[in-house]
This record gives sequence, structure tokens and C-alpha cells, in this order.
Amino acid sequence: MKILNKSKLEEVLNRLGENADVYVPMSKGLQSGFYPWKSLEGGKDELMLDALNVYQPPKSVVFPQTERMYSLYQEGKGLKIEETYENDEPRVIFGARACDIKGIICMDEVFLTGGYEESFYKARRESTTIVANACYEPGPSCFCAAMGVDPLNPEGADVIIRDTGDAYIWEALTEKGEALSSTIKDLLEEKELSVPEAKPFIQQVDYDGVAEKLKGMFEHPIWDRTSEACLNCGICTYICPSCYCFDIQVKMYGHEGYRFRCWDSCMYEEYTREAGGGNPRPTGRERFRNRFLHKLEFFTERYGHPLCTGCGRCIVVCPAGINITSIISEAKEADLDA
Amino acid sequence: MNDFTQQIQDIASRLLDNGQVDVFIAWHKGQQDFQVQPYFARSADEAQNIIFNDYSIHNLSNSLLKFRDSKEKIGIVVKGCDSRGIIRLLEDNQIQRERLYIVGICCPGMKDPLQAMRDELGFNHKPESTELAAKCNDCIQPNPVIYDELLGTEQSPRVQDRFARVKEIEAMSADERYQFFEETISRCIRCYACREVCVACDCRTCIFDEMRPQWVGRENNTTDNLMYHIVKASHMAGRCIECGECERVCPVNIPLMLLNQKVIKDVNELFGPYEAGMQYVEGQKPPFSMYEESDPDDFL
Repeated sequence: MKILNKSKLEEVLNRLGENADVYVPMSKGLQSGFYPWKSLEGGKDELMLDALNVYQPPKSVVFPQTERMYSLYQEGKGLKIEETYENDEPRVIFGARACDIKGIICMDEVFLTGGYEESFYKARRESTTIVANACYEPGPSCFCAAMGVDPLNPEGADVIIRDTGDAYIWEALTEKGEALSSTIKDLLEEKELSVPEAKPFIQQVDYDGVAEKLKGMFEHPIWDRTSEACLNCGICTYICPSCYCFDIQVKMYGHEGYRFRCWDSCMYEEYTREAGGGNPRPTGRERFRNRFLHKLEFFTERYGHPLCTGCGRCIVVCPAGINITSIISEAKEADLDA
Repeated sequence: MNDFTQQIQDIASRLLDNGQVDVFIAWHKGQQDFQVQPYFARSADEAQNIIFNDYSIHNLSNSLLKFRDSKEKIGIVVKGCDSRGIIRLLEDNQIQRERLYIVGICCPGMKDPLQAMRDELGFNHKPESTELAAKCNDCIQPNPVIYDELLGTEQSPRVQDRFARVKEIEAMSADERYQFFEETISRCIRCYACREVCVACDCRTCIFDEMRPQWVGRENNTTDNLMYHIVKASHMAGRCIECGECERVCPVNIPLMLLNQKVIKDVNELFGPYEAGMQYVEGQKPPFSMYEESDPDDFL
């Protein structure tokens, strides 16, 4: 098998960086997320490949928080599109966990299937190669397996690396993965190593039948109580590896300007505000309910799996201590006649 | 702390049982000890779920805004800083005093559940948890300033040099300052957690949600982010009660209290002495909600 000795990791990342923007899990002060390898400042920032995960998922590599779509100018009564900004520069996401890659697969389904392809997402996505870091030791808030994710064999990976201590086992799975491997083939070694032993999950979640059951729970009292502590901030949606809601707006300066796309959150009142002033989700309860029904019911109905990948980030970041695994178990146990 | 749990449970049961309140706002335990969550008990039975531990840090006064349009009577537990939030809401006519039964706790300082979550759940390289939450080391008012019942013994303020961080920034050159704020504020992900958790943010429609006109752009870039934070900080003038919740919940560690404290310092120097929400006097308004002939106007 091919292996990548950890002593050669920096060299590998530098090499990959010659032809692409390489995003790696990194801490920057108290921040952590997928940041460009080139931005690593020695003595200040640290590579976090050996941590369970980082705070901000790699979602923004393929779906940036703000993305300029095209610039335009007004000509008489019409508008002329000056330039479109589809970005297909090569990039590599290095060391993502299965849960985070599943988030990208969810976005693929939304943006690239169903008879319509979203060209801005497509350009970024197709130029991205994913190196997955297989996960053998789930953290206390991890529950990816319960959501149909295989942490040991991440779906959607072009290459999988497996941490054996001093070296990673390197497995290329796709053409993109092979292409990446060929650029560093002099840095890989041939050696037999045994794969680490997978540790059991600490967090137990039973999602079986929940999507089906939630169909009958739109007006269930469970939402009155579970939503009470929620502040309706957008942390959970913005830090989520699979939340993909966005808004499209225009900025004009006189006769010229540009159109851009930016993340939006179903937690905000403005999100569902209608032009006439009405709002189908007027209070926090309806917004809270929508978030969980979208994750656990609607998406599963449409795509066959939930929009939650079990990464546990929303549990870690929520200022009000809301826990999606508790919502799943409450839904599971709820009395439908209540 | 366990002591407080029992006492709060007893008070809540009593009030809910005899109909003095319809809902009692405190905390209950989540899956982990440090995972404490705001809780709304509606019966004496539910009151038994209430806990108060080292992690009961949330400023619950903010939750009163959920009840501003109802007639329900509310029991609520507040620490020193949180109690100032209640005064702010009373001054802004967001809630009526007679609807509240306030249980005050002389606060020994809290731990930050969010820090513990990051440490314990594997999202930190190096542990960051400290003995007390950062905001509690800056505490100027550990004892409740408004209450119907008081628990615990009086505590001393813990702050050493209240505006130390502000003075550090003031000492920088304009360029250094700009660089500092550009760096910290460009991190903002515009999740608005700092706004939602803030008891001083009690506007029904927030300026940042207005679309016609749209006062602040929605792009995540330095310009729009700076605009958001400058406008938010100015709106805090005379209103921030220094509970520090905004900075604590910020997922990208923006030092929001630095901005708020600068504004507090300026309001104090220009319109003061003034401390928001320290004392409830019916009809009293914060400096920016009224006009006085003697108000400074050198900048005009």
C-alpha cells in the first residue's frame, strides 16, 4: 500500500499548493477551520489534522459565504452583464472528515441534481479534489453513523488518508485522486501498515423511522417547548457543514454594480418575510421547527437521507444549549396524540 | 451551588403552585453537566427539573422579551449583571414590574459552558477553559440590583482595571487601530448571535433586518461587517449592561465588549456619570433617550 510519512506532510502540502489552493484544518489563535495552507503562520497557527475536527467546516471552499456572481451596468432601459465570476480554479480540501464531506454531497444534490445545475457551485465543485481523513475515534458529540455516514470510508472522497501514528495510509479512489497522487508520487512510500482500530460511538442516536414520524408532527406541542430556549441566531446554520440556504442581492453604484450570493439563515425573521409584509414563520417557534423538519424530514423525503451529517458542531456552538440529538430522541418518543 | 438549586426549586414550586407566576425561567441540565440550558418551568412538577450550577451563566433577562406581548406573570432568576438587564427592559417599557417575581443570586462568578463544550468535545487543540468565564473576571456588579428575594451572600466585584483593554487600543496609532479592527471584524460570520443574546437589543424590527432601505449590506466583507459592528456598538450607548454575553457567544471570538466598553467609557465621560441599569427609578431614561440643554455638542 501507499503511505505518506508524517515527516513529509509539509512537503506534500507545499507540492499540492503549487497547482491548487489547498485548504487544511488549522487553528488560528482561538479560531479553527479550513484555511489556505499558504496562510499558515509558523509559531502562531497550527495544522489540526490530528484533532477530531475544526470549528468551521470546509463548506465555504465550494460555497463561499459571499460570492460575486456577475457585474452589470445600466444601458438605456436595459442591463448589460459585464462579467460573470464562475470560479473554476483548482483547489484541494485536505483532511476533511466524513461528516463534512457528506455535507458537500448534500449540497451537490441540491445544486447539481433535479434537472438543473447551478453553474457557480458547479464550477467550484468540479475543480475541487477532496482528501478525506478517516475517523477512528468519534468524539462525545459525534453521531455521524446514526445519520448514515461511514466515518471510516468517507463517501465522496477522491483520496482517503488513514492515520496510523507516524504515517498515513494513502488510498486514491477516483481519477481526480489518482491525478493528485501522481503529483506527489516521489513523496509516497510503498509499505504495509495495519489500519487503526475503530473506537465505538459515545453518543447514541436512533434516527430510524423519525423522518416518517415527523410528517405527522407539524403541529405537535413538542415544538413549543423545544424551541423556547432558542435565540434564533444563525450560528448553527452558518457553522453547519450542510446548511446551504442563500440569498441573492444586488449592489448598485449609480449605473453600475454587481449581483452577489450570500448565505442566509432560516433562523432569521427576514428570511421568510414576503414583499407584502406577511411572514409565514412569524415567531421563533416556526423557524426552529422548520430548521429541524428540513434537516430530519423534508430533505430525507426528497433525497433519501437527512440533511444532518452528525458532526455535532451545532451542539458545541449553540449559546442556548440546544441539542439536535435530544430533538431526534424527543421526536422518536413523542406521543402523536398529544 | 447545589444549595441554590434546592432553594430555586422550592421558590419556583411555591410560586407556580399558588398561581403567583405562570412560568418560571431558570436552567435545566442538558446531556453533560456543563451543558446547561435556559428552562421555562410551567408547573411545580417541572420546577423539580431546575438546576443552578457553575455553568448557569446565561443572562435570562433577555428571555423576558419573548413575553412582552403576553399577560403572563413570570418568575425569573438573575445574577448581578442579568438583573441590570431587567432594569433596562423596565425603562424601555418592554415588561411591567408587577408581572415579575425576581429571584436574585449574589453571583460568585460562573464558568463558560461554550468553552467547556469546545474543550470536552474535541474541537480544541489546546484546552482554553479558565477557572471563571472571561466575562466574570471583568464583573463590576455581582449582586442583583433589583429583586423580590435574594439568595447567597454579597460578593465583591472582580474587575481589576475596568477599561484596561480599551486603554490599550486607545494608545495605538490610528493605523494600528484600523488594522486591529479590520483583522478581528473581518472574521465575523454575521450570525447575529451577539444581537440575539443581547438584552439591550429590544427593538421590534432591527435596523439590520430592514430591507427598504437596506441600511447595512449583506455581503460578508470588511466594509459591511465593520458597518454592522459600528452601528450595533453605537446603539448600545447608554444601554449595554456589561453582561458580556455577546462576546461569550461569538463563535469567532470577536472582542465585542471592547467596543461596548469604549462606548460606556465615552458615555460616562460625556454624559455621565452614568451606568446603565444600575438602579430602577420609574420613568428614568438612558442618556440617549432624552435631551438636556447641558448635553455636550462640541462635535456639531
